[in-house]
Amino acid sequence: MSEQLDQALSRKYDAGFVSDIESETFPPGLDEDVIRRISAMKEEPEWMLEWRLRAYNNWLDMEEPDWAHVHYPKIDFNAISYYSAPKSMADKPQSLDEVDPELLRTYEKLGIPLYEQEMLAGVAVDAVFDSVSVVTTYRAKLEEAGVIFCPISEAVHKYPELVKKYLGSVVPRSDNYFAALNSAVFTDGSFVYIPKGVRCPMELSTYFRINEENTGQFERTLIVAEEGSHVSYLEGCTAPQRDENQLHAAVVELVVMDDAQIKYSTVQNWYPGDENGKGGIYNFVTKRAICHTNAKVSWTQVETGSAITWKYPSCILKGDNSVGEFYSVALTRGRQQADTGTKMIHLGKNTKSTIISKGISAGNSNNTYRGLVSMGAKAEGARNFTQCDSLLIGDRCGAHTFPYIESRNPSAIVEHEATTSKVSDDQMFLCQQRGLDPEKAVSMIVNGFCKEVFKELPMEFAVEAGKLLEISLEGSIG
Amino acid sequence: MLKINNLHASVEQKEILKGLNLDIKPGEVHAIMGPNGAGKSTLGFILSGREGYEVSEGQVEFNGEDLLDMAIEERARKGLFLAFQYPVEIPGVSNMAFMKESVNAIREQRGETPLTATEFLKKAKEACKQVQLSLDFLKRGVNEGFSGGEKKRNEIMQMILLEPSLCILDESDSGLDIDALQVVANGVNSQRDGKRSFIIITHYQRLLDYIKPDYVHILANGKVVKSGDASLATDVEKEGYAFLGQDNAEETNA
Amino acid sequence: MSQWLKQVIDRGQAIDDWLSPLRAQALEALGNTKWPNRRVESWKYTSLAPLEQLELSPSTTAGKAIIEDIEGLNSLDLIFVNGKLQSDISLLSLPQGLHISSLLDASDKQQNTANALFAKIKPQRHLFGLVNDALAEDGLIIDIDANSKIEQPIRIVNISSDGQESHHRVLVRLGSHASATVIEHGQGEQASLSTGFAEYDIGEQAYLEHYRLAMHTHQAIHIGGDHFSLQQKAQLNSTLIAYGSELSRMDVDIIHNGEHAKAKFNAIYLLGEAENFDLHSTIEHVMPNGTTKENARGIVGDKAKAVFNGRIHIHRNAQKTLAELHNRNLLLSRRGQINTKPELEIYADDVLCAHGATVAETEEETLYYLLSRGISRSQALVMLNFGFIQELVEQMPNQHLAQWLKPQLHSRFVEMEVK
Repeated sequence: MSEQLDQALSRKYDAGFVSDIESETFPPGLDEDVIRRISAMKEEPEWMLEWRLRAYNNWLDMEEPDWAHVHYPKIDFNAISYYSAPKSMADKPQSLDEVDPELLRTYEKLGIPLYEQEMLAGVAVDAVFDSVSVVTTYRAKLEEAGVIFCPISEAVHKYPELVKKYLGSVVPRSDNYFAALNSAVFTDGSFVYIPKGVRCPMELSTYFRINEENTGQFERTLIVAEEGSHVSYLEGCTAPQRDENQLHAAVVELVVMDDAQIKYSTVQNWYPGDENGKGGIYNFVTKRAICHTNAKVSWTQVETGSAITWKYPSCILKGDNSVGEFYSVALTRGRQQADTGTKMIHLGKNTKSTIISKGISAGNSNNTYRGLVSMGAKAEGARNFTQCDSLLIGDRCGAHTFPYIESRNPSAIVEHEATTSKVSDDQMFLCQQRGLDPEKAVSMIVNGFCKEVFKELPMEFAVEAGKLLEISLEGSIG
Repeated sequence: MLKINNLHASVEQKEILKGLNLDIKPGEVHAIMGPNGAGKSTLGFILSGREGYEVSEGQVEFNGEDLLDMAIEERARKGLFLAFQYPVEIPGVSNMAFMKESVNAIREQRGETPLTATEFLKKAKEACKQVQLSLDFLKRGVNEGFSGGEKKRNEIMQMILLEPSLCILDESDSGLDIDALQVVANGVNSQRDGKRSFIIITHYQRLLDYIKPDYVHILANGKVVKSGDASLATDVEKEGYAFLGQDNAEETNA
Repeated sequence: MSQWLKQVIDRGQAIDDWLSPLRAQALEALGNTKWPNRRVESWKYTSLAPLEQLELSPSTTAGKAIIEDIEGLNSLDLIFVNGKLQSDISLLSLPQGLHISSLLDASDKQQNTANALFAKIKPQRHLFGLVNDALAEDGLIIDIDANSKIEQPIRIVNISSDGQESHHRVLVRLGSHASATVIEHGQGEQASLSTGFAEYDIGEQAYLEHYRLAMHTHQAIHIGGDHFSLQQKAQLNSTLIAYGSELSRMDVDIIHNGEHAKAKFNAIYLLGEAENFDLHSTIEHVMPNGTTKENARGIVGDKAKAVFNGRIHIHRNAQKTLAELHNRNLLLSRRGQINTKPELEIYADDVLCAHGATVAETEEETLYYLLSRGISRSQALVMLNFGFIQELVEQMPNQHLAQWLKPQLHSRFVEMEVK
């Protein structure tokens, strides 16, 4: 049985093509000059450059963290190029018609037809290719509603007061090693501003892709939801198949004012490396939200890619009655290593959090849930419920659970449960007896295992996530 | 339809079936009775292809093809259905999604077009009605949190939906009260159309009061030791399996 | 290197006895150890500052000790005062199959037993285990012959008194099919430091009933450990009762080295005032078909702080393991603190593992149910909150010990509630 499963899991990476696009790329290496050049390329104001340089100096004083349950050779930060832009971006396109057709074809291969999304789905897309925002669709409609959705590099110019006020307000420059690095060298990302009382008229979406060899991607996303506003934001990621490891160190900051809500969904399918662990993306991401009174943040993630995932989307539940949710599916196979989870920091009264984590390990991979639930002394009546389930496929993988629970308030309630299981022979037999082939049976059972998380995803994303799992579990069954 | 010739099979090196013969023609209902440990359930698992059962001798022909050579799902697609004695739970996978996948896999094999969602739903509702399962069961996870009786009815519901040509019912009566037993029996009887064949594995005669078999076989010590018509079942009910003799009784206790 | 560690190494090196070759490894490991701060995972929530501030001299003289009798227990008592054995083993009438000697005057045969156990079961990662390796001069070697069923419980008591530092070691071997009950009982209130580590080798199909009563309070710093190796079909039933002091820490390792072994481990901690207690337990399923059930429950009042870290590690080969860990906590005060981390680390697929942890207050609904039956509020609170502790006490196989503990735990709890 497990042999069949193994074969089912050894499928090829579908998004692993390389696009032949002329790029302008910095030579590898990192020093103050590189940061100045990035800033100059983007014609940034002085304050932005200073902020970057301060972050760089913070970073120099920091040490790479080693507490995660992942193993990889030391990253040579001087072997990475910190800026790469498709050349045809040099004179920025004003509309989709002006976008390099090769680049558009790349998106099509990824299943992100920009036109179609514009026309049919009504999703506004900010596509980040290597380091530069390519095009932002559907702007007009958003502008009408007063919603700002643009590349962060543009926001620096157009809305400097907003950027100055909120950038680094949730994830400070010196928060952690990778966040500091990102703060110093971030090249692009999305900026979203939802004015008071506005319900964003459509789902906002960003696709990230790393194309160039030896480039790092350091995007920075900042979403500010003013009082009483709502927004749902989707994020998808892929990268071409390369033998070298590529670094992705992103920072996402969410500011959720009183009564506002942000739903942030991610489908991450970065290249995971080959079956021997060669190549693949190192994904070191800091995502954090600060929730004011009655605010709500919901993080949903489906992680199937990356050689290494180091990611803990978190909520600081500062305001009374604020709510944090984390729904996660992480699938690892081959030699992938994932160390992912969340932090729920309960500071306000009657704050609530829910954590549902589903880890699936196959092949020689290791899949770790790491989480923190902290009940502050003033978190009267706060509640947390955590459920972490692991599914093991085969006997060469690992599934691990490291939940930290800290409570300082007697009226707070924390509940944590974790289980592990495997795809049982009985389940496989029942499915096959009803005519399903083993591949279909595994993907069905795994999809069932993940159901509680998938139902949190926006419709079209849920379909995509289900398919992604299916593809991940697909292969030749003997 | 099904020809079993001198079938020998073992589990973990222990021989369970020791030369079993059976010939089932289209439309026939065969009951297999016998004491615990006689190899009744083993027969169902071997016919459906479950792993861990080693066939050392004999042949099984299903509609002229070598059944033992086929993968589990291939057998299912070609019309063999096993109603499990202990159906397993598959959390999170809805009964509906599961059956739709299954029905269409089997239709594909038959060269039929897949059912649309509406067509499927109509059939599924019909099948649920026949076994008196509320439609909620379609939305629930496969057997997830079902009672024993609900699981058994769910199996019959699936049988109705999948329209197999050979149905093997493995103790579909165990653990059922009389009302549930009738529901199961009615479900089975509704599927008797003169072409579809049934193997009914049971320990007791009571299910056979409701599903009248054409033949009854007594399985003991891995072989059919006695065959007859429906009246054989009544004899067994009256006299138990004692007539099998002391040797066999010991064997079954072991 | 910290001053504290340096003086441990110096003192360890100065000891010259038959254990010296065994100490060498620990001394070397200590030489490479960094003094833990909060960034060291195993000391994340517990500060070693009280230890460093303590002005102690290694104990030279032992005082007199008065040991409370436990009604009906009828135990073989081995009394240590400040790590020095006071009991005269030669005066004890030992049942057949039971051999006890002190570390100080072990015969060649007993030294052989000790050589096979000393620092062999206890993992090297425990810093204070290494300290104990280096400094424990006195202690016990207990050898139980194969097939011997020792009915009489063996009680090992260590009492710490003011200004004293002590390190004692216990090594126990149960031969195949043997059974025994061992109670390790430590107490002290005044400024002192004691480390007490025990290693148990439970032979094939042997059964160990074990209790650790870590009843150090106030300024009595205690750092200890119990480390069990289970051979094929061995069984362990262990209960830990802990109070808290300025610094109180226990490390427990249960290692399934044989197939089909069964372990049950219950832990209770009741902490009031400014007490700290830190329990780190590790269950290692190295071999297949093992079973472990662990239940840790604690109540924390006033300014007390509880730390629980419960790890289950299923090795690649340990298929068909059943392992469960549950940790329940009750926090009674807003100045108190509970930090818990149940961990699963699993490398085998055909296993059933689960853990759960809760930190909760009394459920209003349950409280209401009791009130509606005419029970007073204060009584109801005691019933509900103490009930889940009592449940574990009642699971103790030795009822004499349970009966002796109950009123003590109860009054400790009531005092916490009052504050």
